[in-house]
Amino acid sequence: MGNNRKRKIDISKQNKEIEVKEETSEAEEDSADDQLLNTITNEEEDCSDSEGEIEDSEDEGDQHSEEESEESDFNISEDSESNDSEGSDGSSGTEENSGDSTEEEEEDSSSSEIEEATEEKETVENKQNSKKDVKKKVFRERKTEVKTLKSSTINEKLKEKSESAGNNEYDYDSSDEEDIRNTIGNVPKNWYNEYKHFGYDWDGKKIIKPEAGDHIDEFLKKMEDPDFWRTVKDPQTGQNVILSDEDIQIIKRIKAGKIPDVSFDEYAPWIEWFTRDVMQTPLRKFPEHKRSFLPSKDEAKKVSKFVHALKMGWIKTREEAALLRAKKEPQFYMLWQTDDQAEEMRRIHKHIPAPKSFTNISAFTTHAESYNPPSEYLFDDREMKQWDKHKDAPWKRKLHFVPQKYDSLRQVPSYKRYIKERFLRCLDLYLCPRAIKMKINIDPEDLVPKLPSPKDLQPFPTTLSVEYKGHTDMVRTISTDKMGQYLLSGSDDGTVKIWEVNTGRCLKTIKMDDIVRSVEWCPNNALSLVLIASGKKVVLINPHIGDYLVCSKTDSVLQEASKIASVMSERVKSTVEWSQPEDALYKSGVRLMLTHFKDVTQVTWHGKGDYFASVMPDGQNRSVLISQISRQSSQLPLTKSKGLVQCVLFHPTKPCLFVATQRNVRIYDLVKQTLVKKLMTNSKWISTMAIHPAGDNLLVGTYDRKVLWFDLDLSTKPYQVLRLHGTAVRGVAYHKRYPLFASGSDDRSLIISHGMVYNDLLKNPLIVPLKRLEDHQQTNDFGIFGVHFHPLQPWVFSSGADGTIKLYSN
Amino acid sequence: MTLERNLSIILKTKQEEFAIPDSVHLVPIDSDEKSLNDLVNGVLKESHADILKRKKFDFICLGELLRTSLDEHLKTKSITTEITLDIEYVLRTPAPAPEDTILHDDWVSGIHTCSDKWILTGCYDNTIKLWTSHGKAITSLKEHTNIVKEVKWISETDSHKGFVSVSHDLTGILWAWEDDTTTAKPFLTLKGHSRGIDCVGVSPNSERLATGGWDTTLKIWSACLEKDIGEPIAKKAKVNMDVRTPLHTLEGHKETISAVSWIDNHDIVTSSMDHTIKIWDAELNGIKNEIVGQKAFLSSSWSPLTKSLLATSADQYIRLYDPRSTEGLLCKTTFTSHTGWVSSVDWSPYSEYLFLSGGYDAKVKLWDTRSSKAPLYDMQGHDGQVLKVDWSNKKYLISGGADNRVHIFKNKDLL
Repeated sequence: MGNNRKRKIDISKQNKEIEVKEETSEAEEDSADDQLLNTITNEEEDCSDSEGEIEDSEDEGDQHSEEESEESDFNISEDSESNDSEGSDGSSGTEENSGDSTEEEEEDSSSSEIEEATEEKETVENKQNSKKDVKKKVFRERKTEVKTLKSSTINEKLKEKSESAGNNEYDYDSSDEEDIRNTIGNVPKNWYNEYKHFGYDWDGKKIIKPEAGDHIDEFLKKMEDPDFWRTVKDPQTGQNVILSDEDIQIIKRIKAGKIPDVSFDEYAPWIEWFTRDVMQTPLRKFPEHKRSFLPSKDEAKKVSKFVHALKMGWIKTREEAALLRAKKEPQFYMLWQTDDQAEEMRRIHKHIPAPKSFTNISAFTTHAESYNPPSEYLFDDREMKQWDKHKDAPWKRKLHFVPQKYDSLRQVPSYKRYIKERFLRCLDLYLCPRAIKMKINIDPEDLVPKLPSPKDLQPFPTTLSVEYKGHTDMVRTISTDKMGQYLLSGSDDGTVKIWEVNTGRCLKTIKMDDIVRSVEWCPNNALSLVLIASGKKVVLINPHIGDYLVCSKTDSVLQEASKIASVMSERVKSTVEWSQPEDALYKSGVRLMLTHFKDVTQVTWHGKGDYFASVMPDGQNRSVLISQISRQSSQLPLTKSKGLVQCVLFHPTKPCLFVATQRNVRIYDLVKQTLVKKLMTNSKWISTMAIHPAGDNLLVGTYDRKVLWFDLDLSTKPYQVLRLHGTAVRGVAYHKRYPLFASGSDDRSLIISHGMVYNDLLKNPLIVPLKRLEDHQQTNDFGIFGVHFHPLQPWVFSSGADGTIKLYSN
Repeated sequence: MTLERNLSIILKTKQEEFAIPDSVHLVPIDSDEKSLNDLVNGVLKESHADILKRKKFDFICLGELLRTSLDEHLKTKSITTEITLDIEYVLRTPAPAPEDTILHDDWVSGIHTCSDKWILTGCYDNTIKLWTSHGKAITSLKEHTNIVKEVKWISETDSHKGFVSVSHDLTGILWAWEDDTTTAKPFLTLKGHSRGIDCVGVSPNSERLATGGWDTTLKIWSACLEKDIGEPIAKKAKVNMDVRTPLHTLEGHKETISAVSWIDNHDIVTSSMDHTIKIWDAELNGIKNEIVGQKAFLSSSWSPLTKSLLATSADQYIRLYDPRSTEGLLCKTTFTSHTGWVSSVDWSPYSEYLFLSGGYDAKVKLWDTRSSKAPLYDMQGHDGQVLKVDWSNKKYLISGGADNRVHIFKNKDLL
């Protein structure tokens, strides 16, 4: 843009020059008839030419600089002669302007000839020094004035001579035309040599040749006339004209090679009206025309030429040239370049900021650090003493410097430790390698598994609905019949009670001899039997509730079974003794009695209701006994004691027995008589267990507050450990229909959880704790003992140490 | 703004004797039934010279009884207060008065009345007791061997048709009884259920019986007191009774049937613990309709007046079902006030709005279906679970429970 602008200005200058030339030539034609005058004008022309040349050369200089600036981009060796035309092309917008300026210039030069003859010289000079715009105006005025003056001076001279002819000077208009008295036109004067006249005037009268004297006359004239030397002949009219002093002076100046105008100051300071610099207040009022910003087609052509040349490789850019030059030179490379580069890239992409230096730790400087602190910040003696006291332990000082007072900043001495501290700092940065710590940002929230809301897992027991009150001591164990109509409970008060579930009515109470540790309703629909473990005895009772047909059938089946004499080994015989009840007992419902050699803590039915297992923890290697009702015989499945047996369970479908000792659960195959699996609970004491109705998942409650969920297909370690209870867990149970399980503990709480087991083996069980129910009273540090689900409804029973059983419904 | 906002209301009534001129009244927006009562009584005093005593009215606003201030009532209904509100007022149901208490030896599980005179109760001590409505014991019948769950007169008006009792001893007994005698004779034994029978329903024309129980089947029996052979009745009154077998056995429920009612002479509605209510066609012996609930149903009562069913489930709510509605929720209203399971519910025999309920929270409540949040009256007196409420006779509201008592309340509404 700047270039363009500059170029345009140059071009305007050239235009101006051309016009100046034209003007001068006009003047030459018009005014010069005489040779001398011719020479004068020629000289003038030369003069102006030379001036123009100077300007030209300046212009060229400009162009050179331009070229150079262009060369900075391209190494162009071509001659830029076409710059002129190029400029003229783009200068159309500035024509008017340039015209103006040329006029001014012209006046500067042309007016100078005549100015001396004018009386307004002074004013003109004054005006020349006045401001530009005023000047412009004055120039314009002067231009016309000068023109008239120029002609009028000549006219006056002619007039003087032609006054004799009686011509009125106002007869013709000579304001802006040249004085043409001879109307013959531009024909050779020698054509009129034979005539007495040599032309015709405006009125068509002959202009008579003045009397031409001979050489003697001439000589005499020369001798007599003092003005002879300044008398010249007007070639137009053939008359003698006496040159004035001014004319003479001009001629003299021209001859001397000076500027004809006396008043012209050759050495006036150069005012650069048009510069490349953008002025704050532009010289011209109007902005540059939009057209001037249009890309020039000519330029584009040139550029494309250059581009083509570059592409073809005819011309080279500096870089290419440098490369070409460099190619010739031997090449070196870094041996460890790649390593270096990696480091560089690291510094760019993984910038590690330098650690903050100690001195910068306190963010803000305090008044004490000022060079001229208020006096209270300066140390007094006591403080100074304290400062000195901590010489050996500078970290104890309150400040790490002694505040100093200076009257002015100029007086502050240079910091003595500066170099040292800089050095140490650099040493720190250098010797302590910096590295970005690889930290994994994990939101702790993300680690919590996304569990469904309990609302979506309904139904599950939530509210206490029915309470079964009647037991006087803690209720250790509960069980329901298969329909969920009756509830069976065994208590420490030595009674077994049967309740109506829906109303909470106690229908039957059976008195036992000892505390009842375990009861279970027979899972077989065709049998009306309950299994009760009380002390050393295990009793089978027909409760005579429900279908009397089933009840009587049960009795008959048992009676038939009693007739079968079974043979049992000595080992078994020493463990258990089968006996038929006496009549009194029989009437109260007792059908079979098994007296064990140790206290029985747990009894459990096999799914088919023919076998049941009883547990005697103190029985050593005879602690687990499996009895069969139909054959009225027992057997001891375990030959070796693996520890204190806590609890046993039959697999709901497979012939497997789960035996929980103190720490582990062992699964035995009863058919093959082998150990299938050993489950590691990693807990101190197992209290109870329950098996999922599908048989693949096992729930184990422990005295050390845990509930363990084992996925038997998955591993021998617990799939999930639920630490929801505050104290020992005493009861766990699965629901037979709904995906629910519950656990009760000594902290009185019964916790209902959702435990979904999927048929898809790849999908792990979903366990969601749902509800904590705390309605039981705590008695002797015991809370809840038995937990049992209603077989059909999503209801749960819990029996507690407070002697009540509670039903929670959904 | 402390300006008191007013609400324009129009008071209307269907009870002609209390009609007041039709005009718009401006009442403060926070006025409740008490202030409205004052208003109506004031207007009544002017227009009806014959009404001397101050009457108490209930106000029905937008189909629900007004129990709070008008402002709150409208807010719960999310209705603007800018409108003119139509409020219907009805004479308030008077509070039932305690009439009598009958002491039993055991829990009372079944109650039914007949023709203003006789009250039949079933008891957990396996007995059936007959009382006059004044609490005088007529007889105690011990024929069942297990708890009696329900007793029903064959006809609510004609005591000669006898009554039926069902028990957990798997049988039901059809009894014949003459007014003048003091003993009733077991006439027939209904045998066929394999588990305890929980409920019995008599068809409106007194010809059929329907029983349901823990064996999940619905059995339909003939209710006639005549032998097929035509032998005299007296002869049959022996210890070894004749046995009647069910006419039909309808299977479909998966769990215990807890209540059975006859819609008309050939349609039965049953509620069950398997979370369903089923409507059966007793002639075609099939299921006509089924309503699936969320919880086990404990009891239900069919109203022939409104053709809708009240059912209670194993939670604290009573739900009103309209089996006819084909779209939207079948459950029309939920009545929430009991704090324990609601064991029994019974429609009023004469009003389409009133019903009685009793729950394990030892409360008997008198409800208006237009007020779902609060009952009209709470009747206290029971000391344990209420097991059975009965409103088969207009005059008496009877309830029996686990405190071995039967409370009789006199209905003041009709007096």
